[in-house]
Amino acid sequence: MSGMKARGTRLSLKEERTALLFIAPFILGFLVFNFLPLFYSLFLSLVNFNELGAMRTNEFIGLKNYVRIFGDRLALAAYVRSFYFTVIYAGGIIVLSLFLALLLNRSLFLRVPCRTMIYMPYVANVIAVSMVWAIVLNPFEGPVNALLKLFGVPEECLPMWLLGVKSALPTVAAIKIWRNLAFQTIVFLAALQEVPEELYECAEIDGAGWWKKFYRITLPMISPTMFFLVVVTIIGSFNSLALVKGLTGGGPGSATRIITLFVYEQALRYSYYSYANALACLLFLFILIITLLQWKAQKLWVHY
Amino acid sequence: MGSLLSCSKTSRLLIKAVLSLAVFVIGLMMITPFVFMISASFKYPGQVFVEPLKIIPDKPFLGNFQRVLRDDMYFSWYWNSIRVVLIAIPLRGFFVTIAAYAFARLRFRGKNIIFLIFMSTMMITPEVTIIPRYLLYKSLHIIDTQWALILPATFDVFFLFMLRQFFMTIPIELSEAARIDGYGHFTIYYRIILPLAKPALITMVLFTFIWLWNDYVNPFVFINTMKKQLVTVGLQFFQAREGANYALQMAGATFAVIPTIFMFTFTQRYFVQGITSSGIKG
Repeated sequence: MSGMKARGTRLSLKEERTALLFIAPFILGFLVFNFLPLFYSLFLSLVNFNELGAMRTNEFIGLKNYVRIFGDRLALAAYVRSFYFTVIYAGGIIVLSLFLALLLNRSLFLRVPCRTMIYMPYVANVIAVSMVWAIVLNPFEGPVNALLKLFGVPEECLPMWLLGVKSALPTVAAIKIWRNLAFQTIVFLAALQEVPEELYECAEIDGAGWWKKFYRITLPMISPTMFFLVVVTIIGSFNSLALVKGLTGGGPGSATRIITLFVYEQALRYSYYSYANALACLLFLFILIITLLQWKAQKLWVHY
Repeated sequence: MGSLLSCSKTSRLLIKAVLSLAVFVIGLMMITPFVFMISASFKYPGQVFVEPLKIIPDKPFLGNFQRVLRDDMYFSWYWNSIRVVLIAIPLRGFFVTIAAYAFARLRFRGKNIIFLIFMSTMMITPEVTIIPRYLLYKSLHIIDTQWALILPATFDVFFLFMLRQFFMTIPIELSEAARIDGYGHFTIYYRIILPLAKPALITMVLFTFIWLWNDYVNPFVFINTMKKQLVTVGLQFFQAREGANYALQMAGATFAVIPTIFMFTFTQRYFVQGITSSGIKG
């Protein structure tokens, strides 16, 4: 009996050694490239490293960098811009992808080539598509406005797209929707295919129409997926630096200077490293709060 | 009765046809920018905006592609991208799968808590930590080298999660039988688990390729020398350099999207599976 136990612990010790060997490289890499930057960011945000060469002083200044944010009108405007962007992007993509998934879930002619076309932007190079959109939406020479003119839209009403102070941010959001639509659509489609057919058949016997079936069966059944997608989409909406750099570079004026671009500029253009990290940490805190609020609110609308 | 049935059958067919047409039109709208891009890249510079806009130019012009192919800078960027992808895929493939095997199959202390810590970092948007990463890589002396892109990509938590989930669906009896036959864990990992996990591995290779190829922010911040850049950031430089020569720009852009679109078209099944099974990146 006791011999067996000893053998068991010896075996599991050996197993533990093997496991350690297998995961050690990954853990080391994870600590250096994933974990360390997080703490480094927090540390930097609390010291005074706001000019090049000041690295060695590392003078601890508490929350001063954070306090400075609230007196910086440009920074606050960048946060607001980012949240505005999130609302347009997340709202738009959730509605559109659900609509598309509902369509793709039916039996259609040419379904496979249609799906390929719809998913294609997702894999295309971000700068390549930015270049194309910048030309296509060029307000003076581009084909989109040429088409609008052809349909009789008067010259002075033609949208300025990426070059308009008011229209630039929504245009960038729309292009991000176009680019990422595949992801949300695929996830919604998978959820729709999980809804048991019997539920719809029962509802049909009761004489329920299309809208009622959608509202009473489809929506509640896919609400966990929708919750997941809303959370992930909102987090992802803050990863828009590449598209903004490619499409507008922050302009016209500051119209598309979202917070991540602002952080980048503060650090690598003006060398305000600590201040930039305080801005980034605050953004992370905001995202965390948004996610937690959604987590709390899911009781109200998510059916498990 | 009979006529009523056939009537509802034709109306159903009609609905199907209308909806198919609608989806097809949406699909066409989605790829319009690509059509425009390819079409413009075959036009003479200065002909891009000539109205009426022609999708297929009267006289296709190959000069843009020739100029891009002869461009030394563009060639280096392209080659650098290929090299980063080709080094990162096997590295990630090894370190991620072997760790995923341990998390899926082995018992060890602290397993759950370590895994939980790994998972929690997936909620952090990578753009938030770009500055500390820049400073960190600087002190590691990997700034302006391709290792600043390859090494962080090697230890990817998202794929660790995906592969662990997949490994757990492989029947445990297979590994137990091998254990009884006296095989070690590395042999089981290499000879049994990896071959059976081929769909998940293909998905990983596909997404690694697509994400690394299309990555802009990391190479933009971590690589300073233009000659060492990857194609995504290089393309932006190319765009600025070629100013108003839109046809040439579009030829450069076309080359940059070909590899990923080509791969995606032939592996669409794995692409869809990859997103539905774990779908974290948004």
